[in-house]
Amino acid sequence: MESIIDVQNLSKSYNGDKVLNIEHLTIPKGQSFGLVGNNGAGKTTFFSLLLDLILPTKGHIENKGIVVSQSEDWKPYTSSFIDESFLIGYLTAEEYFYFIGDLRNTSKAEVDELLAEFQDFFYGEILNQKKYLRDLSKGNQKKAGIVAALIGNPEVVILDEPFANLDPTTQIRLKKIIKELSVKKNVTILVSSHDLMHVTEVCERVVVLDKGELVKDIHTSEATLKELELYFER
Amino acid sequence: MTTSQFLSLEWKQFRRSSFFEKGLAIKILMILAALYFAAIAIFAGIGVFFIFKKALPDQDPFSMINNYMIYWVLGDLGLRYFMQQLPVMNIKPMLLLPVRRKSVIQFLLLKTSFSFFNILPLLFFIPLSIVLIVQGYNPVMIVGWFVGVLSISFSINFLNFILNKNSKAFYVVISILALSVGLQYYGIFDITPFTGVFFNSLYELGYTILIPLFTVVFLFKMNYRLLRNNFYIDGAVKAKKEKFRNYNLEFLNRFGTLATFLKNDVKMITRNARPKQVLMMSFLFLFYGLIFYTQDTYKNMPVFLAFASIFVTGGFLITFGQLVPSWDSEYYKLMMSQNVSYKKYLESKWLLMALACVVSFILSTPYIYFGWDIYAMIAAGASFNIGLNSFITLYGGALNRVPVELNQKAKAFSNTQGFNPTQLLISLPKILGPMLIFYVPYKLISFNAGIIALTLSGILGLTFKSYFLSFIEKTYQKTKYKTIAAFSEKK
Repeated sequence: MESIIDVQNLSKSYNGDKVLNIEHLTIPKGQSFGLVGNNGAGKTTFFSLLLDLILPTKGHIENKGIVVSQSEDWKPYTSSFIDESFLIGYLTAEEYFYFIGDLRNTSKAEVDELLAEFQDFFYGEILNQKKYLRDLSKGNQKKAGIVAALIGNPEVVILDEPFANLDPTTQIRLKKIIKELSVKKNVTILVSSHDLMHVTEVCERVVVLDKGELVKDIHTSEATLKELELYFER
Repeated sequence: MTTSQFLSLEWKQFRRSSFFEKGLAIKILMILAALYFAAIAIFAGIGVFFIFKKALPDQDPFSMINNYMIYWVLGDLGLRYFMQQLPVMNIKPMLLLPVRRKSVIQFLLLKTSFSFFNILPLLFFIPLSIVLIVQGYNPVMIVGWFVGVLSISFSINFLNFILNKNSKAFYVVISILALSVGLQYYGIFDITPFTGVFFNSLYELGYTILIPLFTVVFLFKMNYRLLRNNFYIDGAVKAKKEKFRNYNLEFLNRFGTLATFLKNDVKMITRNARPKQVLMMSFLFLFYGLIFYTQDTYKNMPVFLAFASIFVTGGFLITFGQLVPSWDSEYYKLMMSQNVSYKKYLESKWLLMALACVVSFILSTPYIYFGWDIYAMIAAGASFNIGLNSFITLYGGALNRVPVELNQKAKAFSNTQGFNPTQLLISLPKILGPMLIFYVPYKLISFNAGIIALTLSGILGLTFKSYFLSFIEKTYQKTKYKTIAAFSEKK
């Protein structure tokens, strides 16, 4: 299969402390990729490196053949939602979606079309609220951020902890959305989570990080959840 | 929880505040600034008696001072509305601890007494009282008067919190102030002798100090009750939610691809406390010229008029522009990972600043009253602002990596954004540049030559717009990771 994300000798240190060290990692196009690990395992660091928000100490990441720290050409087909700092607090959800749409060359009508697909997911709490994003609850902010990351037909979608703060109904809906994206639209989707069940359910492949090192790389099967639980029980 | 525990928390908050984490140079500058204000207050306190004595030798200077006290009261109220904030946010963690609400609230209210705004009047009135006693006024009665004035100062303090964020009350105060100053200036009606009667009575009658004393106790109690009843996370502790406002900004679409950012910036400015404050400040800058144009001293020093003209139209441009990526600091990671072109982003900010400059220029039309020379100078200043100052300011902003909390008003003395060495260096060409560009041709050729030179400098700058923007863009790219790291630091 054609690979889209290619990690080579990647490491990141702060004042000599290595927080991430991945020698080699390839993610094929259209894969749903799960990243698990305890606090401080390096999940967010990896995503930040992938989005060129921090500079690697050594090595590099290629996104569709483009070294992310050298060119910005990966931006048009890559989108992400990491945390609330990806939201613009003083906009309403609609205004925010249209703003992102503008940046990704997506017309208002196309954005509306996409939003219509997510009516269920929004549960009537996002659109037409006459409320600024900063005044929404954490869970609703997250919903808005996740959907915004799907605007403009991205080929790579990066979601950090998408299940945290969501209510059970929304978690189930989100799982469906992620599966569909990967299967039907051939979108490469990278997800991190603390919830082993969610990850094994939604991802074709689960990678475990521990203190910055890649310790497990599993192709998901029936036995995966057990295996992960055993690993983390130590 | 005891008072000493509260005090230790306060001390930690103070020691660990961002102030002490700033560089040494800034600390020195800030201390100097504080000393400067303190010195001004002390010297004004000493000098005000003699100033009145000299200006109106046939009147009692003390009663004249008392007459003018009303302006201090109104001005202080207005200033505090702008700058002083009730420190409620810190009590949230206290709600769950076994602490009596009474002691938290009392501590909170007493704490506000030590704000800069209450210390400054002390620095003014103590020297004044000493001067009065030395000048032969009855010491006991002066002490009574001082206590009365102090109570008024604290009443203003507590009143401000009751009115907190009530803009209607603010506009009423400001209008009364402007109206009474205006009426007095044009000799129509002078309010000061009437209010002076009261302030004089604090000295002459003495027992009238009961009025301010009761007021301060009453206002303290009222504040206490207000806080006590709202001491819940959905009450006073909660940050105020703003009502949603929408406007049609479609007309901005004429700016094509820049419209996306422009529309966003307009919403940013109108929906957040901090940029609103900047907008208000830049409006006040419009009146900056009045200080210079009305003085005869400056008539023969047109260089200073050039200096003033820059600020008349450049208020928004400077105050907004110097924080240019910082305005987007809350969602900077989004901007950096989205499909955003730096150049478009910068160009849209520049356009906004230029538009504000044009609007300021239109609003400055009444300056024609001071003569066409002055107006021509303002026009030349506007040209310099749009063509050169804007780019210098944007460049300065690119080097300024201080996160801005959009919906939080800047507090007095915490607004140190423009206060680092690079910023100071950058502001030199902003201030000296136009003066120099004007002065050289003015000295060598004529006044008009100076104006033409200043205008041309702006037009010239405009022709290099693309070059300047690319240059700033490179700075952005070079400092990208540093900026992201600085912006994601929590205050």
